[in-house]
Amino acid sequence: MRRSLTLPAPATVRRGMLVAVLLLWELVPRTGLLPELFLPALSSTLAVLYEDWRIYSAALLVTLYEVALAMVIACGGGIVAGAVVGGIARLRDLLLPVFSSLYAVPIVILYPVFTAWFGVGPESKIAFAGIYAFFPVMLSTAAGIRTIDPQFIVAARSMGATLTQQVTRVIIPASLPTVFAGLRLGGALAIIGVVVSEMLTAAAGIGYLVTLNRTILDSPRVFAALLMILILSVAYYMLARAIERRMVVWQSAGRSPKAARPENAVVVPA
Amino acid sequence: MKIVVARLALLALVLAAWELLPRHQIVNPLLLPPLGDVLGMLGELLQRPQVHLAIGVTAAEVVVAFVIAVPLGAALGVLIAENEYLGDVFKPVLFYVFSIPKSIFLPMFILVFGISFAQKVAYAAFTTTFVVMLSAAAAVESVKQDYLLVARSYGATRTQILLRVYVPSMMPLLLEALRISMIFNFTAVMIAEMYASRAGIGHLIAGWGENFQMRQLFAGVILLAAVAILFNETVRTLEARCSTWRT
Amino acid sequence: MQHVANLARREEARQEQVAIEVANLSHVYAGAQGAVPALEDISMRVGAGRFVVIVGPSGCGKTSLLMMLAGLRSQGQGTILCHGRPIPDPDPQRVGVIFQEASLYPWLTALDNIEFPLSLRGARDRETREERRERAEAMLKLVGLEGFGERYPHELSGGMKQRVSIARGLVQDPPVLLMDEPFAALDEQTRMTMGHELLRIWSTTSKTVVFITHSLTEAVYLADEVLVMSARPGRIIDRIPVALPRPRSYEMMATDVFGQLRERIWQQIRKTP
Ligand SMILES: Nc1ncnc2c1ncn2[C@@H]1O[C@H](COP(=O)(O)OP(=O)(O)OP(=O)(O)O)[C@@H](O)[C@H]1O
Ligand SMILES: [Mg+2]
Repeated sequence: MRRSLTLPAPATVRRGMLVAVLLLWELVPRTGLLPELFLPALSSTLAVLYEDWRIYSAALLVTLYEVALAMVIACGGGIVAGAVVGGIARLRDLLLPVFSSLYAVPIVILYPVFTAWFGVGPESKIAFAGIYAFFPVMLSTAAGIRTIDPQFIVAARSMGATLTQQVTRVIIPASLPTVFAGLRLGGALAIIGVVVSEMLTAAAGIGYLVTLNRTILDSPRVFAALLMILILSVAYYMLARAIERRMVVWQSAGRSPKAARPENAVVVPA
Repeated sequence: MKIVVARLALLALVLAAWELLPRHQIVNPLLLPPLGDVLGMLGELLQRPQVHLAIGVTAAEVVVAFVIAVPLGAALGVLIAENEYLGDVFKPVLFYVFSIPKSIFLPMFILVFGISFAQKVAYAAFTTTFVVMLSAAAAVESVKQDYLLVARSYGATRTQILLRVYVPSMMPLLLEALRISMIFNFTAVMIAEMYASRAGIGHLIAGWGENFQMRQLFAGVILLAAVAILFNETVRTLEARCSTWRT
Repeated sequence: MQHVANLARREEARQEQVAIEVANLSHVYAGAQGAVPALEDISMRVGAGRFVVIVGPSGCGKTSLLMMLAGLRSQGQGTILCHGRPIPDPDPQRVGVIFQEASLYPWLTALDNIEFPLSLRGARDRETREERRERAEAMLKLVGLEGFGERYPHELSGGMKQRVSIARGLVQDPPVLLMDEPFAALDEQTRMTMGHELLRIWSTTSKTVVFITHSLTEAVYLADEVLVMSARPGRIIDRIPVALPRPRSYEMMATDVFGQLRERIWQQIRKTP
């Protein structure tokens, strides 16, 4: 406790680190510590973004389109399937162990299959990212649904709730935190899946710009794309977090902070 | 017992569908070759020296990256778990890190190391370190403070506390951490090999996909999936054994 | 002699209206490891406005019995009459239930939790929103939580949560209130105050209460009559009338009568294997 008096607040340190990274990004190449080929200065990267903003915004649109559709598969399907599998005991006992075994398979090895099936256009990215994000969302939803206290339903029945009311007034509100966690996880993973697949084989999108410019050794353009992807992922995460906080005020307190972080439940390789 | 039978039946159903649907042209066999053909191809592939070499390269990359990432990540994880201040500073950052596609840093690794063994290992170790860090921190934090207090009150030394309290009570979580880290590690090596490489199973798979060699491609997928699942189940069994005494 | 007893019975029945009547109730659960006989030949009758406490060893079927009284679970054999009619489904107009873990909905404020059962009737009810709100607020006041209506359950202490839960059970104004170890999760002091509060509320509302507890002191302190159940399969092995005057006070706990009653219940429970 004495330490917290002398050391700056953690959030301040984090902000400081961010500023330091940005400064180093500018200064290290400028002073020649690293060649611009390895690390182009922040200003050159931003200059490229400014110059080529048409190319980059068009690529961003393609990526966002793919992410949106992948999210529909992953979040829509994952949350529904997770609710069903988690909610029905028999199905859960039958399938959950199967899914947790499949979780070990690096899904990226399926991407060549998808390009063979759907071509190098957006379809293969949507299919890959959708499936890539589907399983974790489903697993985390299934786990979250199980944490709903069955006593909630018994109490509702004792108060005369009809079956419809039990669903709309109890089960749905009780599963909101799980659903939001699923959306946050699913969106982040859909972004990762789309970017990875665009980098591997594609003809459009931000991930494609990374790979294209890498092969012609145009580092500022590689880093411009990289910066956009970073901003996209972090912005999505922050947005999802903020919406979640606002929608489910009640779940934040009363539990240990670790239990309130559902992303601890499922982590996904990429 | 019944549930295991049901699960096996489900598996058999999927495999039968894979064999029969393409065989009877219900599904285009050019897109999904029948399971029998794929398994035949797998047997053939496993005879080829070229494939042996690829497996060797991939295995070496996986192992070396793991050996680098685990101690590094574990040390960092223990640091942020034990030091409250560092934890407060860095833990929120870690959660952001997990929503970033680490593959975007691949070009940097290629620039620094060239397209090489070292580049694959460095990239895989880089991504795996984060997971190990997070799992190690979780494992350390799971050690009940009560155990520590009791141990201290009996006058245990630092080493004794480490060996007799931390390690045994963290064992199941440590195995879990190793398991998850290995999954990440394997995925990272695959991505790196598929992205740009001259050797390794990922390289072969990417090439088969590009050339529409679906039987080879599916054989490779089956091989990798089988290895991953086998590893995963082995560690999970160990985990279950270790956690019987854990409440 | 027989004749006189019968006369007295009839007289008694005429005087006190019967709220709950259970006859020869038995129940066997189909467990994974075979049949679990949970309740055996339970017969009991609870007069309207009476406070009856059920005690018994853990796992003897108290919760099961209560669930059946509430229409939340159906019994294997026997009949249950609540104010003269069977209760095959939950009927919040007749029976309110209060559970051990307050089971308040964490996404609703205290006031919304209390209003929840009223809002379920929604369209079926002529009551307007304002009237419902007023009723919920009146309940909040009754349980002594005025000013806490906008708090969420996680912002309330254990005792306060249980008060909200009682208010929620009372808001539909059912003549019968079933309580399953409502204070079990509370510390000893809060528990005693809550028991006292409950008696105060009970005396102003003239409800019939069936109350389950593991605490013998609580049983004697609250009850008109204590029913002692045996270990599984649960049977009623003793009915102990508590003749302490009302209103009850903490001082009574120190009296000999209180101690003897407590001792008698303890001997009964101890006897069961
Ligand atoms: N749905 C069920 N299916 C199978 N067995 C059950 C079920 N509910 C309860 N039982 C069994 O019936 C017995 C009585 O359970 P019940 O919960 O009614 O006991 P209780 O007296 O309330 O116990 P406690 O004092 O611990 O709350 C227990 O042995 C329990 O395992
Ligand atoms: Mg009970």
